[in-house]
Amino acid sequence: MTTDTQRRDEGASAAKTLRSIKALEFTHVLAIPDSESRLLFEAVDADADLDLIVPCREGESVAIASGLWLGGAKPLLLIQNTGLMEAGDAIRGCGIGPRIPLRLVVGWRGYASAAAGKVPLDSAYPYTEPLLEAWGIPFWHLMGDDDLGVLEQMDRAASERSFPAAVITGFGYRP
Amino acid sequence: MIERMDLFRTLAERRNDEIVVMTMSATLQWPLVSSHPLDFDFLAFGMGHASDFGLGLALARPERKTIVLKGDGGLLMSLGSLVTLGRYGPGNLLVLLLENRSYEIVGGHELPPGADFAGLARAAGIEGGGSTGTGKVERIETLDAFTAALPRLLSEDGPHFVVLPVANHEPLPAVAHTDHATRVENLRRGLGVSDG
Repeated sequence: MTTDTQRRDEGASAAKTLRSIKALEFTHVLAIPDSESRLLFEAVDADADLDLIVPCREGESVAIASGLWLGGAKPLLLIQNTGLMEAGDAIRGCGIGPRIPLRLVVGWRGYASAAAGKVPLDSAYPYTEPLLEAWGIPFWHLMGDDDLGVLEQMDRAASERSFPAAVITGFGYRP
Repeated sequence: MIERMDLFRTLAERRNDEIVVMTMSATLQWPLVSSHPLDFDFLAFGMGHASDFGLGLALARPERKTIVLKGDGGLLMSLGSLVTLGRYGPGNLLVLLLENRSYEIVGGHELPPGADFAGLARAAGIEGGGSTGTGKVERIETLDAFTAALPRLLSEDGPHFVVLPVANHEPLPAVAHTDHATRVENLRRGLGVSDG
């Protein structure tokens, strides 16, 4: 549980997040729409410089991303925590085991309501950070525009360790 | 029905600079006929995801074909990937589905008998689909027909999804995993890709 780190910011701007993603020279974004990432998904979809791939399930996303990276591209995975759980075997096999530097932006479903003190907790909420910790995947929080620099930190860590790294977003995106 | 090793020998003879991604039983027998820097052993990389991985490779390396050798049991683990291929599969992707109707590598347990894998691929939008709009789904049932089709499959725009009913009567070598990271490094070296 991470109540000591919970913040009440309003989420990052989708437009600013997109600018940060493009500044890091990602070539492809793999995403399945979810409620919180909707605005960023739409911004990526509308951008002519990024190739958006929308698979059917997150395990596919991870495997496609690993193939893209092996071929010399630089993919970014937008993935809700529920999808992170579904994709566990692919993250193990296509990221952790072979030390492929998957870059993940994980939507933390349940965080915002937990931060607001609502009960019951979403069952996806408590496992997000512990799951990444168990896999040894470093992560940073992106809770508002002031945090956008964590994308660059995540990208650098993935590259330097040749290992997956993640940013966790606790709120839906603003325009 | 095609003897799998005959199919592999035929493919290895015609293959040039294509990437070959293999998984499960194919990882045991393909190395008996091929030792190529662009061979990639996907075993234990992610259950059912060999063609997803191949899709990513093909998108990143449009200058050459990516061939995926995978089984029908693996396909059942990621059936949605057919729909993804139907939308995004590029012209340089060739998926050879080795249909043996069993989970062979773990003991030969039967798959559900009624599934029509070519039919599933067509219904998923691969026929006339992919990013090219020229996707093709085929079922090839004899070695002669495969031998005749292979030059076309290696040269024309796809994506191609080919169902090949196979049997195997040759001994399977023991599973011998090599280090995952080394496989990755070798393929990137073969492709001339630098770190990133």
